[in-house]
Amino acid sequence: MEGASYARMPRVKIRELKDDYAKFELRDTDASIANALRRVMIAEVPTIAIDLVEIEVNSSVLNDEFIAHRLGLIPLTSERAMSMRFSRDCDACDGDGQCEFCSVEFHLRVKCMTDQTLDVSSKDLYSSDHSVVPVDFSDPAATDSSENRGVIIVKLRRGQELRLRAIARKGIGKDHAKWSPAATVTFMYEPEIHINEDLMETLTLEEKREWVDSSPTRVFDIDPVTQQVMVVDSEAYSYDDEVIKKAEAMGKPGLVEIIAKQDSFIFTVESTGAIKASQLVLNAIEILKQKLDAVRLSEDTVEADDQFGELGAHMRGG
Amino acid sequence: MDGGWKTDDGIQMVDGDNFRPKCIYVAVMMRRIMDAILNKDAMDDKDYVGNKRLELSGQLISLLFEDLFKSMTTEVKNLTDKMLDKPDKARNFDMSTNIITLGLERTLSTGNFEIKRFRMERKGMTQVLQRLSFIGAMGHMTRVSPQFEKSRKVSGPRALQPSQWGMLCPCDTPEGEACGLVKNLALMTHVTTDEEEGPLISMCYLLGVEDLELLSAEELHTPDSFLVIFNGLILGKHRKPLRFAAAIRKLRRDGKIGEFVSVYVNEKQHCVYLASDGGRVCRPLVIADKGISRIKQHHMKELVDGVRTFDDFLRDGLLEYLDVNEENNALIALYEGDATSETTHIEIEPFTILGVIAGLIPYPHHNQSPRNTYQCAMGKQAMGNIAYNQLRRMDSLLYLLVYPQRPLLTTKTIELVGYDKLGAGQNATVAVMSYSGYDIEDAIVMNKASLDRGFGRCIVMKKYSAVIQKHSNDTSDRILRPNRTADTAGRMQILDDDGIAAPGEILKPFDIYVNKQSPIDTRTPKSGSAANLPDSAYRSNAQSFKGHGGEVIDRVVLCSDKDKNMCIKFLIRHTRRPELGDKFSSRHGQKGVCGTIVQQEDFPFSEKGICPDLIMNPHGFPSRMTVGKMIELLGGKAGVSCGRFHYGSAFGERSGHADKVEAISETLVSKGFNYSGKDFIYSGITGCPLQAYIFMGPIYYQKLKHMVLDKMHARGSGPRVMLTRQPTEGRARNGGLRVGEMERDCLIAYGASMLIYERLMLSSDPFEVQVCTACGLLGYYNHKLKTGICSSCKNGDNISTMKLPYACKLMIQELQSMNIVPRLKLADA
Ligand SMILES: [Zn+2]
Ligand SMILES: [Zn+2]
Repeated sequence: MEGASYARMPRVKIRELKDDYAKFELRDTDASIANALRRVMIAEVPTIAIDLVEIEVNSSVLNDEFIAHRLGLIPLTSERAMSMRFSRDCDACDGDGQCEFCSVEFHLRVKCMTDQTLDVSSKDLYSSDHSVVPVDFSDPAATDSSENRGVIIVKLRRGQELRLRAIARKGIGKDHAKWSPAATVTFMYEPEIHINEDLMETLTLEEKREWVDSSPTRVFDIDPVTQQVMVVDSEAYSYDDEVIKKAEAMGKPGLVEIIAKQDSFIFTVESTGAIKASQLVLNAIEILKQKLDAVRLSEDTVEADDQFGELGAHMRGG
Repeated sequence: MDGGWKTDDGIQMVDGDNFRPKCIYVAVMMRRIMDAILNKDAMDDKDYVGNKRLELSGQLISLLFEDLFKSMTTEVKNLTDKMLDKPDKARNFDMSTNIITLGLERTLSTGNFEIKRFRMERKGMTQVLQRLSFIGAMGHMTRVSPQFEKSRKVSGPRALQPSQWGMLCPCDTPEGEACGLVKNLALMTHVTTDEEEGPLISMCYLLGVEDLELLSAEELHTPDSFLVIFNGLILGKHRKPLRFAAAIRKLRRDGKIGEFVSVYVNEKQHCVYLASDGGRVCRPLVIADKGISRIKQHHMKELVDGVRTFDDFLRDGLLEYLDVNEENNALIALYEGDATSETTHIEIEPFTILGVIAGLIPYPHHNQSPRNTYQCAMGKQAMGNIAYNQLRRMDSLLYLLVYPQRPLLTTKTIELVGYDKLGAGQNATVAVMSYSGYDIEDAIVMNKASLDRGFGRCIVMKKYSAVIQKHSNDTSDRILRPNRTADTAGRMQILDDDGIAAPGEILKPFDIYVNKQSPIDTRTPKSGSAANLPDSAYRSNAQSFKGHGGEVIDRVVLCSDKDKNMCIKFLIRHTRRPELGDKFSSRHGQKGVCGTIVQQEDFPFSEKGICPDLIMNPHGFPSRMTVGKMIELLGGKAGVSCGRFHYGSAFGERSGHADKVEAISETLVSKGFNYSGKDFIYSGITGCPLQAYIFMGPIYYQKLKHMVLDKMHARGSGPRVMLTRQPTEGRARNGGLRVGEMERDCLIAYGASMLIYERLMLSSDPFEVQVCTACGLLGYYNHKLKTGICSSCKNGDNISTMKLPYACKLMIQELQSMNIVPRLKLADA
């Protein structure tokens, strides 16, 4: 229990939270933790997705594999996923992946009987489990039902038919991107912008405006009253160095100093709809913990020292 | 109307006893020869496109038909003569022959045009249209193949000719032996067909051409009068050649004579050339009067409104077709603004000098020229949509892309040919950076998540067929309902009860897809009903599937072949996702294989959340100089961010058919990107920012038909050739990998003699021989006596056993059969 503690207490501040979108700050930690969180969100948070398709009738223009692939990519609501079993280690069905503990069955039966093209969409998928259904993207505010069809699977013309049984299973994004709950997970280092006010005052208003406009994103602006250059939105800065280069070109190096804070990150998380963005983050943290536990469980063994070396020592110490 | 006829070879013919036209013709020829001797400039250029004629299918078929028709008439005459010689002339006489049908069929199916009557003997005149890609088919239909053999080492005919401007594509030519000889038509080229000569000749006389018959020697040599030559035939002289040419052009523009008739005044030769023959290449140009275009704003508005078509422009005399010769009399301005008072024509659009295939390249005028040529060869191998009816076709091989896209950076040519509707590629977000070392030598790194989501996924359709043969003894093959209890039942699971595989079934290797049986005896005529043979008279001839597994039967078609046998065709579909070693290419001759596939979380990402589909190594740029690809990336990036397709037509910046880099950069900046297209990017592995800004954006990538799955091959042991007992050659025969001469030399130099011994003999064709040390000949092993015997010495006293490559033993025996005695002299090692 000796040695320096590496433990830090990261802080999270939520900026914006919607069902499928989250923006939060992660402070007092470093890139390894931030990136681990990002990677887990993309690749290791489980969801449920269609994995096996048995096609009974398919007289559509798309072939069986084509439709199976499209079905797989439809996001399904996966709040259940964390508590579900992976079908490969399900005892109830011997890894067959067909039982209620590890799978959800879907049915799709559509036939076009009119001369109008019929869109087969995710709304035509009937689930055996009401908690696992295709994600509904329709805007609850909009009442026009004809517009709010789900994800289009295939279009049918008169006489064409599609009849199939699909089995959805739990999985992770590492195995196939269809199981990834994250549409986008990204973070940026929080920029810290210091304007050298004295040097800035040596510029004319014209020069200031020119300098402000040199940034492709709207980071700076000129105060209409004081005519001082101010930082409007430091996070709009995309680390493009344009303003710094511009300052140098104007003969005023050091006009602005921008440093990336090494311990603050601004995360943007967009979910596919399979789970809520907030849940995605929480699940990711949970899985990250489990992974660390897996390391800690083997802490006493000699192999652990071989495998993890110094890291193992840290785990014991910290 | 005399003097105007010629033989099939186009030489002046003699009318009765009048040799005068012929004399004049020969004299003109001599004058031209002497001119050429005195003045090298007067020499004709045989590579000049104006002196060339293309042969179209109509001309060739009409020649073939003429020959066959004449053969048929002589045949009918012979038949009739024979008939009339016979005593019973009143008998029913059948004079129908099928010479024409057979002749046409044979010539078209073999492609060998052998027409003795016209001394024509050409091979490969018919080709099966390439249907592997839409662009391949388009390119194939614009191809121009030369007549003479390709082995000649002259550079002249291969070089780019200035006269092919606008007529033949300067980019699209194959690499290698046919380089520069095989050409492709440019976008607007028209190849003329024969036009009736009579009316044109009489019109020339009406326009003041004086018949040579009526001219005295003095008049013949009037300095300012020009010789009028019509399709290579001397018509006469004209005193005012320019006025004559202008009159003909006026008639042509008014539609009084054909739009493809050309007049060309050659000041140097004092000749006016008229041409109405077929096979000339020509192209449309806007007519300008004293530099002012005849096409006005209201014409263009009518075109946009759909009231006016291209043909209306032609009919109204706003456009006209010029052939290569007549172009020499025209002063053509590139744009309306460049026209001076001397200008006679204005180009329609500069990008039309390129052909269909080169027209797909965005910004080709920014690329190093050979890169465009490479792309022209590769565009034909790209997978995509091949036709609207592609899923109803039964091609022997078909490559389709699952999610083809239309390029974000298009050209006008793409819209004109319809490549935007039948695309062959996908817009991939490309990061130009180095990653992992698996991207050396143009290899690309691919994002696994992109592949999961369908990037580069393709469908390969292959046709297999089975014929139910009817045999000479009235027996026939049969298809049997599968026996579900037999040993082969496992391999027959995909069969329907009719013995034929059902559509939708997934195939495994060695699955039987048609349970066919053939009669054992197919020769001796059977007594009684041939259909009721006992089962024992049949042997199994089931066709089994030799593939990778995972293929699906797409369709089964029953039809009859040309011998009226029943034919079952299976279309087998295989959906493949990209794997290591599959070939990809951008539209700039930059091909590369997939070097590694990386998880999405390991891929770099930008703070906007953009993660590339593909990583391309920056070393691909400096030596290739494909600046067009960089502009495509910029334009594509601006295109996705502002929601408008950008254009990159060749030479299009000036006319607004290509977006300028400045404008693109402005769009990028307004959408919050860097003007240079570079992004600030984080490593997906560490989460730290990368040290450099990364050039990233969408580039249209083509998946080429060369896939590892069709090529990979390795073998431990396997089949051998009967004759030499050495391993077979080639992947199709599961052959071995040869240690060739050069590899052998390396091993010799290294001194690895045992390795050579193993590779060249033990792993190839070892053979034990009995050698007689007395006479040096090969003996044999007598199994009864259990010793080797020399058949020459008639004993086994001096036999020793040794190992030899079987091929060596074979050679010794072959030499012996030619009365050469090779003797082996053995010594102790
Ligand atoms: Zn289970
Ligand atoms: Zn002997």
